[in-house]
Amino acid sequence: MSIVLGLVLAAIAVLLVALPFLREPVAADDRLAVPDAEEDRRRELLEDRDRALAALKELELDHRAGKIDDADYRELIGPQRREAAAALRALQRRYGSEMAAFETPDLPPEPTPPPDEGSPPTPVPVPEPYPPPDEATIPQE
Amino acid sequence: MADLGRAALVVSLGLSVYALVAGATAAITNRRRLATSARNALFCCFGSTLVAAVVLASALVRHDFSFTYVAQHTNRTLTTPYALSAFWGGQEGSLLLWLLVLTGYGSLAVALNRKLLRDLTVWVVPVLAGIGTFFAFVLVAVASPFGTQTAPLDGNGLTPSLQNPYMVAHPPMLYLGYVGLSIPFAFAAGAMLSGRTDERWIVATRRWTLAAWAFLGFGQLLGAHWAYVEVGWGGYYAWDPVENAALMPWLAATAFLHSVMIQERKGMLKVWNMVLVALAFELSVFGTFLTRSGVVNSIHSFSKSPIGSWFLAFVVISTVFSLALIMWRLPLLKARTKLESALSREATFLYNNLLLVALCLTVLWGVLFPIVTQVFKGETRTIGRPYYDFFLRVFGLPLLLLMGIGPLIAWRKASFRGLVKLLAWPIAVSILCGVALVLVGAGSSKPGLIAYTFSSFVLATIVLELVRGTRAVGSVFTLISRNRRRYGGYVVHAAIVLLAIGIAGSSAYGTSTRARLTPGQSVSVAGYTLSLRDVRRTQVPNATETRAVFDVGGRWHGTLSSGDNQYIFPPEPSREVGIKTSWARAEDLYVIADDVNVKTHVVFVQVLVKPLVNLIWVAGIVFLLGAGIALWPDAREQRRLVTRLAPARV
Repeated sequence: MSIVLGLVLAAIAVLLVALPFLREPVAADDRLAVPDAEEDRRRELLEDRDRALAALKELELDHRAGKIDDADYRELIGPQRREAAAALRALQRRYGSEMAAFETPDLPPEPTPPPDEGSPPTPVPVPEPYPPPDEATIPQE
Repeated sequence: MADLGRAALVVSLGLSVYALVAGATAAITNRRRLATSARNALFCCFGSTLVAAVVLASALVRHDFSFTYVAQHTNRTLTTPYALSAFWGGQEGSLLLWLLVLTGYGSLAVALNRKLLRDLTVWVVPVLAGIGTFFAFVLVAVASPFGTQTAPLDGNGLTPSLQNPYMVAHPPMLYLGYVGLSIPFAFAAGAMLSGRTDERWIVATRRWTLAAWAFLGFGQLLGAHWAYVEVGWGGYYAWDPVENAALMPWLAATAFLHSVMIQERKGMLKVWNMVLVALAFELSVFGTFLTRSGVVNSIHSFSKSPIGSWFLAFVVISTVFSLALIMWRLPLLKARTKLESALSREATFLYNNLLLVALCLTVLWGVLFPIVTQVFKGETRTIGRPYYDFFLRVFGLPLLLLMGIGPLIAWRKASFRGLVKLLAWPIAVSILCGVALVLVGAGSSKPGLIAYTFSSFVLATIVLELVRGTRAVGSVFTLISRNRRRYGGYVVHAAIVLLAIGIAGSSAYGTSTRARLTPGQSVSVAGYTLSLRDVRRTQVPNATETRAVFDVGGRWHGTLSSGDNQYIFPPEPSREVGIKTSWARAEDLYVIADDVNVKTHVVFVQVLVKPLVNLIWVAGIVFLLGAGIALWPDAREQRRLVTRLAPARV
């Protein structure tokens, strides 16, 4: 009995393993769909976008939470926003505005900014939360 | 039914060999149907291994002693849960569990990622199949759980110390952790083999790594509690080689979980992450080798067996394979950015990584030392507790401190001024805590004092983070649910702090005394007085129980008994300790009656008072909670990933 069950098990396994060949004895195209260079580039740009936006979101949250003071925030936000804008611009240029759209990060309304202490050289206003997808227009160079 | 089990394992071996060869051929020659066929073979391999596992489990439950394995590890007195726990109580069964979990995990991981990561999974299948082939081969040719014999009337029974609820859960938990580390390893290897070393393998395996790490961590705590209540020497971790075998991959995986965030965030440390994921996997197999081979002396290890050399060969081959892959793909693993400042979040993660890996390698050296001395000097020299304790302090205390500093520092670079401002409150809290501890007499142990001060610092930073974050977003629920990885991580940090407090309290501030007592005599320790009331021996089914009964007075009034059980099947002794936990005083009274003489009524007793030891077990629950928060799926993140990873629309 056990031997029979073992043989049945082996037969089922062979059947399932051979299934792709039984379904398609002659395949029109048997090549694996490996992403091409264009798809790799697209994914890379999306990765850059997500990375930059996540960094921006965290910086924003940390600033609102008081973990990063205004002076440090001003120093950090510039390069971070430039990175995010560059990533979105690159996506928009290549794939149009639909691909550059993204979800808003659900931050609450902006609190009143702290009073300006001194006069920083290029005062960067505290940015609004990310625009919703339909408003994601990126300034062109 | 043993024939069915054997046949199922042979089928598993055949399928895994096929998945390895056909999968590699399909990936190299770019053939779609062959790749699907190899993937199906991996799925079927899980199915046939499941059949083998069901056969063994049903034999254990039915007490079918015609299975040699069942007769060796169970007897008729065992209840069903303990009979089932014999599945992993013996060598062959635990290897079958390895293969079952590996093929199950592997099939699920491949099935979930086969569409979004089709170019990676085509390589992941042969890597997983390669690991599966090894385990299936060992089970078929070297250590089969389906050996048969003429059934005896009863079996040998399960080792008494394994007849404990913790032993029902602890080994499978460790296996889920050990084997779980195969998944990130297989995807990392798949990424390197396919030449696509972007971040998709990390994204795909993030939760697998986290789950494996959580299982491994929680499994170790379950094991520690088992040792505390069952082994009965008064401790919970003895730096035993087999205990270290689980700690090492956990440390490597902890380092990986942190450094992978830097890669996701900055595109840095790609080589380092590959090394860490390979290290974590190799250490998990090495741990299994340590446990199975009998190469080291441990209360946990199985007796010397022929599978040790096979495991060693597998560890060597897979290590060479991993290193060769990393060397081959070095040009693809170049960092996209550089570290901008030594005072930044990524820098603290790097320091944390260096400390974790240093601790891991230190423990590895301690484990290897007896083997090295045996090979080169012909005599086995072991490294004792002082070695491990020293390095735990050297690397562990700075790690604890970094756990507080790291989350507060900004990415890219932080200003010293800003950091001082941020750390002002936590530093003030820790100084106050340190002064208070000195005033109450905790200055007797410098490492203990430092550990408590650092712990208060970390707790203060976590509380501050939660308060500030909640203030920023409006509610703690919103804060955590929208930043699960981050705040789940903080909860895990809180668990590590509880663990550190528990370890420091019970080891640095514990009290212990030994005494020889006869009825009526008493011993006092840390405000407790124990009087020996009686010595008695009773016969229960399958064991003779010898107990010394103590009346306890002073800080707690009641009765505690301790002694030993002499089992009939198997004929082994088991030490039984008396423990009284006081949650109000946050301490345990722990009584070990070492030698109970029923004729002379003389008892040699050791009494320990272990402050804060229970925080270690509380830490386990908090750890699980934190891991659960970090693991909980985030619909927003999933949608973003699907957009990113889905093949482009044509």
